[in-house]
Amino acid sequence: MQLSHPIKYREHLHNNSTRTTPTISIALILNCLYMSKLFMLFLSVSISLSFSVAQAQYLLKGTVVDNEDRPLPGATIRLLSSDKGTTSDESGSFHFNGLIEGIYKVEISFIGYQDLTKTVSVPQDKKLRFQLVENTLSLHELVVTDNYARTLKQEEALSVEVVDDQYLKQNLGGSLMNSLDRLPGVSTIDIGAGQAKPVIRGLGFNRVVVVENNIKHEAQQWGSEHGLEIDQYAVEDIVVIKGPSSLQYGSDAIGGVIDIKNRSIPAKNTWGGAVDLTGKTNNYSIGGSVSFFARKDRFYSSFRGTIVDYADFRVPTDSVDIYNYRAALQDNFVRNTAGKENGLHGTLGYVQGNVKSELTVSNVSVKNGFFANAYGLEPRRVDTDLHDKSNRDIQYPYQNVNHFKVISTSSYQRNKVRLELDLGYQRNFRQEWNAYVNHGYMPSTYPDTLVSPADLDREFDKSVYSGNARLTYNLSDRTELLFGVNGEFQDNQIGGSGFIIPEYQQYGAGAFLIAKHYVSENGHFQVGLRYDYGNIDSKEYYDWFPSPDISANGDTAYRYLQRAENINRNFSNISWSVGYSYHPDHWIIKANVGKSFRMPIAKELAANGVNYHHFSFEVGDPELSPEESYQLDLGVEYSSSKWAIGVTPFINYFTNYIYLNPSSEFDRLYGNGNQVFYYNEAEVLRYGGEIHMHYQILKNLQLGMMGEYIYARQRSGPKKGFTLPFAPPASALFNIKYQKERLGFVRNAYVSVDYRLTALQDKIVPPEVVTPGFQIFSLGIGGSLNIKNQPIEIAFQIRNLFNTKYFNHTSYYRLINVPEAGRNIILNLTIPFSRNTNKN
Amino acid sequence: MVTGDIQTISILTFIINTIACRSDRAYTFYFFCIMKNKLYLYLIVLFSVIVSSCEKDEEIDTTKPAIDFSISGAFPTSCSDTVYFGEPFAFRLKFTDNVELGSYSIDIHHNFDHHSHSTEAVECNLDPKKDPVNAYTGIADFTIPDGRTEYITDDPLSIPLSNTIGQFDEGDYHFLIRVTDKEGWSTSYGIGIRMAYR
Repeated sequence: MQLSHPIKYREHLHNNSTRTTPTISIALILNCLYMSKLFMLFLSVSISLSFSVAQAQYLLKGTVVDNEDRPLPGATIRLLSSDKGTTSDESGSFHFNGLIEGIYKVEISFIGYQDLTKTVSVPQDKKLRFQLVENTLSLHELVVTDNYARTLKQEEALSVEVVDDQYLKQNLGGSLMNSLDRLPGVSTIDIGAGQAKPVIRGLGFNRVVVVENNIKHEAQQWGSEHGLEIDQYAVEDIVVIKGPSSLQYGSDAIGGVIDIKNRSIPAKNTWGGAVDLTGKTNNYSIGGSVSFFARKDRFYSSFRGTIVDYADFRVPTDSVDIYNYRAALQDNFVRNTAGKENGLHGTLGYVQGNVKSELTVSNVSVKNGFFANAYGLEPRRVDTDLHDKSNRDIQYPYQNVNHFKVISTSSYQRNKVRLELDLGYQRNFRQEWNAYVNHGYMPSTYPDTLVSPADLDREFDKSVYSGNARLTYNLSDRTELLFGVNGEFQDNQIGGSGFIIPEYQQYGAGAFLIAKHYVSENGHFQVGLRYDYGNIDSKEYYDWFPSPDISANGDTAYRYLQRAENINRNFSNISWSVGYSYHPDHWIIKANVGKSFRMPIAKELAANGVNYHHFSFEVGDPELSPEESYQLDLGVEYSSSKWAIGVTPFINYFTNYIYLNPSSEFDRLYGNGNQVFYYNEAEVLRYGGEIHMHYQILKNLQLGMMGEYIYARQRSGPKKGFTLPFAPPASALFNIKYQKERLGFVRNAYVSVDYRLTALQDKIVPPEVVTPGFQIFSLGIGGSLNIKNQPIEIAFQIRNLFNTKYFNHTSYYRLINVPEAGRNIILNLTIPFSRNTNKN
Repeated sequence: MVTGDIQTISILTFIINTIACRSDRAYTFYFFCIMKNKLYLYLIVLFSVIVSSCEKDEEIDTTKPAIDFSISGAFPTSCSDTVYFGEPFAFRLKFTDNVELGSYSIDIHHNFDHHSHSTEAVECNLDPKKDPVNAYTGIADFTIPDGRTEYITDDPLSIPLSNTIGQFDEGDYHFLIRVTDKEGWSTSYGIGIRMAYR
């Protein structure tokens, strides 16, 4: 009789595992299960078996542990010369039922460990221990993989990448997204050194969903001038889903999901924390984060405070060509790009048996300057004396962003049922400040009769209330059902003298059902269906200044132009997905077909204003329908003790990709002489994929390679034949890493060199420019020191080792020829501390 | 292009497959190997069919239009020309494009604060900074006849003498010229001029 593996897998997926001690034991759940009807069935089967079968049947039990005797969950155990196989549970235990007396060969394998084969005789006299010896190198160095990651990779029919906080520290960039863009298929849309937005397989902005603590992060995703308001020190694990994921995540997850999970719960009666210190030479950034946690029996809490302060970033050039105008840079500093950030997080939690509840309150606030020679893409002549006086000050133009969140997550599990409830409130408040400039027909001096301050260019104030409920039900040993509902309400207010999007309210609700069926213990089907309904109600807007409206007979009348009309639209959509995942031993093979969607945003429906940052007069289309996308995803991965290799190709078809299309027209009255950009729909075909491989040359030396490629083409509309905006170029990353468990007094020492080779991007759409290919090197050195029993983890990096001048095609500043940051030496120290109050 | 991609995918898949199959030790894996070969074959065929079912790439235009200030009688030119209030002037420049021109626009605005859009290669000698009182703003857009790859503007433009507030401010102004082609590529050029009363 097979064990119910589906349940165990689900445990890996959803349970918050404790770092120090294994939590909810799988045995408990199995017990619960057996207590139910199934138990009766099992019992009757066993009884009937014992009566009907003459030959005695035995149980083979064992535990898998590592070199330090810690249990190893998730190890694969195969009973050779039979078709039996299983996986070790959270306590490292496994067993095989119904064995007849005899000699068996057991093979145990686990990623990162050498395979172990042992001969055992049944019946056994005691529970066996299988100690695995670690490969000195973990095989998935490039894409961090642990048991959790492997399980997730097997479970998810789409292609996923899993990253933990250690990976983030070793690859720490200017922002969370900059630290992640090393992953294949993940890139960023950057503005400056510390701000970046996620791009998954060439799709970004509102086509990627960022989830933190189960709640969708809602900000001004459509804008390219600011980054993601997430404190990267506060992140523990990140799951990147590369592919359409509307099924579980709703509208906007059409391109993929960045799911930030904080899984750890402190062990009972412990307290501790960590101090993180980071310094970067390129922009003289200094940052620090202090965290503290404590748990007494069922209650726990944690706190984190982060402060980062950075100066202007430096580029390997002494001038920048903004269109035809050459702006000189003082000592390579990109003028006025300094900034500061701070973050506060607090968590209160309760965990007991099958109940868990957590409340998180966080606030992330950022103030950073924009490149003074170009506010957006609009060239400016600057007061160099003022701007170059200090590299640390923040002058006009600059922005303030504040993101406040309260999130509550709870779960309850009993027998075959698991209930989860998430509630969230968040407020994103963003302001752009700049000296008043009379664009178009704005008066040359700002009237003092207006309430809005003259130097407030734009203001966005967004409040979002969201809720999710999920019910998981184990229909049988092999079949699991997941039913979920999501709801969200948004209130968006605007301010400032520039108009780009109207004020709007929006709500959306969706319900989904996902069924997972295990055909065998190594393979499962997943089928899902979702229905969504949403409404957007955007408000009219009139200019605060009059414009000269010239009638046909030549008379000029000054009137306050109406920029946006009242728009009220309802949307509904059905999305679905069918996937299969097969993972025998060293393999993971997957296929998934699905339909995803995205509701048009207020800007796409109602924009009617000049974006002076881009010299564009942007016109929305109130008739747009929800974007729909069909995608076929495949994934094949093989990993052995020496090799790991994987390919994840995809084909994607959009029936109506919505994008801002530059026309050949200009508009005087509404567009103030700027080029008209219309929101258009186009049929789009995209395909591409990622490849990653690792090879262990020597015991401590590993070679790795990752590559990504995307092709996109519009098949209809005014830009038929063109690609899509912000198309990432083909890119490959070669890595060599030396790692040793003990190198003198350093533990887990590593030296790693990255060589990135990126191709030319000549597939462009107006107003983009061709971006030449480049090659850059990066170096990473690190390890853990023990000073008087106090461990200190050190991660040292040199990014852009040779100070190469290169351009990132998906950088916001690419159009005005600002190269990427020059050589950057980054040092990160982590000093953890913890105490167990039980010992006293 | 498209066939090249298919080849790349096929070659990659082949390599991966070979490596994967070779590194297998256990005999039982040969089964997977064979099975996977078939799977790969199937996937390659599937990908090829889908990818090749779309039309061949057609030629797309990626060239921006250009503004030529070097024609004889070009006006205005940067830092040297003055436009007078209340008088018409001949706006004369040449636009060119490889396929077809779209339209163009002119935007005249003050540069008293020395900060405005500036795309000229040289910086003009400007008057000291001052606060605008009644600065002139002029915006106009024009279409270019269909099918042109070259177009010389010859529009007499007139600047009003005053507005309801009174006379305009004299001094440094910017003359921003923008041209598009039919595909939406655009080129802009800002030049510094002086505006004054005669």
